[in-house]
Amino acid sequence: MTTTHSPGEWLDRARALHAEGWQLMDLAGLDRLRLAPADPRFVVVVQLINHELKQRQTIHIRAEGDPSSVPSISEVWPTANFMEREAYDLLGINFEGHPNLTRILMPDQWEGHPLRKDYGVGKVPVEFIPQPLLQIDAPGQSPNADGAATHLDHLGQVVIEGDAP
Amino acid sequence: MSTTEKLIHEVEARGEGAFVESFDPQEGRMVINMGPVHPSTHGVLRLLLELDGEIVNECLPVIGYLHTGMEKECEDNNWRGAVTIVTRMDYLAPLFNEQAYSMAVEQLLGIEVPPRALYIRTLLAEMNRLSSHLVWWGTQGLDMGAMSAMFYGFRERELILDFYEMVTGLRMNHGYIIPGGVWEDLPPGWERAVRNITDQMPRRIKDYEALLTENPIFLERTKGIGVITREEARALGATGPIARAVGIDWDLRRDMPYEAYDDVSFDVPIATEGDVYARYRVRVAEMRESVKIIEQLMDKMPSGDFKNMDPKLTHPPRAEMAHSMEAVIHHFKLSTQGYQVPAGEAYVAVESPRGELGAYIVSDGGTSPYRCHVRDPSFVNLQSLSHMVRGGLLADLVASIASTDPIMGGVDR
Amino acid sequence: MGGVSDAVGANFLTAQLDKLVNWARKSSLWPATFGLACCAIEMMATTMPRHDLARFGMEAFRASPRQADLMIVAGRVSQKMAPVLRTIYDQMTEPKWVISMGACASTGGVFNNYALVQGVDQIVPVDIYVPGCPPRPEMLIDGIMLLHEQIKRGDYAAGRVAG
Repeated sequence: MTTTHSPGEWLDRARALHAEGWQLMDLAGLDRLRLAPADPRFVVVVQLINHELKQRQTIHIRAEGDPSSVPSISEVWPTANFMEREAYDLLGINFEGHPNLTRILMPDQWEGHPLRKDYGVGKVPVEFIPQPLLQIDAPGQSPNADGAATHLDHLGQVVIEGDAP
Repeated sequence: MSTTEKLIHEVEARGEGAFVESFDPQEGRMVINMGPVHPSTHGVLRLLLELDGEIVNECLPVIGYLHTGMEKECEDNNWRGAVTIVTRMDYLAPLFNEQAYSMAVEQLLGIEVPPRALYIRTLLAEMNRLSSHLVWWGTQGLDMGAMSAMFYGFRERELILDFYEMVTGLRMNHGYIIPGGVWEDLPPGWERAVRNITDQMPRRIKDYEALLTENPIFLERTKGIGVITREEARALGATGPIARAVGIDWDLRRDMPYEAYDDVSFDVPIATEGDVYARYRVRVAEMRESVKIIEQLMDKMPSGDFKNMDPKLTHPPRAEMAHSMEAVIHHFKLSTQGYQVPAGEAYVAVESPRGELGAYIVSDGGTSPYRCHVRDPSFVNLQSLSHMVRGGLLADLVASIASTDPIMGGVDR
Repeated sequence: MGGVSDAVGANFLTAQLDKLVNWARKSSLWPATFGLACCAIEMMATTMPRHDLARFGMEAFRASPRQADLMIVAGRVSQKMAPVLRTIYDQMTEPKWVISMGACASTGGVFNNYALVQGVDQIVPVDIYVPGCPPRPEMLIDGIMLLHEQIKRGDYAAGRVAG
């Protein structure tokens, strides 16, 4: 069951749900840049659970404004404290009324919000240095192009004779 | 913000790393840093403590020292490859991570998982619960000074790791439970290995109880320590043994059953005091229940497929590739691109040893997850730590951390 | 070829003393607790009864880096943790060694993204790399024994930049 709310009505709805006995399980941000339709860009997805009814509920809250903001529900469900900080840290969604909206996972002086779709993964290119093709004829032969003599030491490691120990 | 929070915020903004201290002689208040490299913080957890002598006034966890960008990394892998990333989040309960993720993807795919696969998954999950609780028991004892607890706990854990190695090939971070079922069938001889574990464990758990449960020193250090009230636990969203130790009678395996849990009968241990000792008793009782569940699953194990054999989802058997062109094409597409999952979102939660572990998956119809967010129980349970230790002694802080059982890989992801 | 020769000058007596000193150093390496992630669990399992690390005199994991001479970086090093790692390494007194345990510590491992340092050798000089995800306790012991051979040969710190 999924419902969508605008930020204006969310806080009252949250209080009503809390009064009915719904508990907050998860709060996650979502960057809808590559989903269709792409507006609004940021959505906060909240998962609720009710122990008496044994039911779950998913609620989407559109983030509006610049910077994209959503009212904080950490006064209704204190569970949301760390979760909203994480959504702010990784996606840049602003939570109005949060007591301490600071970075939680990234270092404090980090710039940018890594989980956004326009933030790259940050891959470091791995250089594979091409090796010359080796002709291995016999077991225990050293992978050493000069063909120097080898033996195994007491640990089973290949020792190339003539090398400095 | 309180004075401590302002101070912490200033220090964090300066980015001074691990060392921060302040002493205010007028108020007699000290802000001391504990961690991130500390033998008792269960990983890279940093705690900023406001102390009044030995009494802890405030405790603020600073996390992020193990942040690996796993959620971003999942978006860079295909649906099958994301299992290997997700499994490294809560690294003491890797099969639960995989299970939650796989169940969410299966919900999006709308496929059936064969009964044998469900039983294998549940069996491995309960084994994982047992091995995770053994590590918890060992570290709880070690932090209290009972060093032998560590050795006993890990000795039993080796039996379970042997079983994992037999079935999945790895001791940890298996990558075995995949969307559609499990990666490979149980090997012949698995029943003997499981029976070896279920025969020994009840005796060993009795030994553990003899070592710690009635031990007067252990009781002194854990009874009445780190108390959290029922209202606080509900408000802070604590799940798992922390919630069950304050009397919140909720266990996803019994109340919202999934996989093979509705075919087995087990009790859910509850306590009411909410202190470290109550959590200890709950977890030890859970170990016993896990052994019971494993025995029942072993007796009832059905035969059949170990994963959903839809060729669009699973590699065809290699023998078939010799005479079927379709098999070769399916194999090629699966190995290069992976399968596609219809657009949509799903949230599925399992009961991990630490509480509710949920996977929130969003798909845009492509071959890799659009958003893979994992609701980690330790991340949420850590918020209740400051409520547990407020007003207590510094030495009791260590007992409380051990009883919260945080796994920083899950907290930071 | 070792502490005494470097300090006093090489002759027959100091060479024999070197052998003694190196043997003593390798027989009681004390690791600093630097378990970060999953590899830390396997490192703990290495000290446990089945793969007993106490046979090598190494079961005493020191919490204070000043008392340790070996840092086993077990686990992934995030950007936030990197300065902490360097601070701990700097606090260790010479002679000190570093084993990079696991794929994440050696090269960044399974993860190649914004959050992780791609190999702890970007921060500290590493003596032994132990691959694996996580490496079995036997693999870690193999790496430690290779380090013991290195120490016995006495050529530690040969390739390292001073300071």
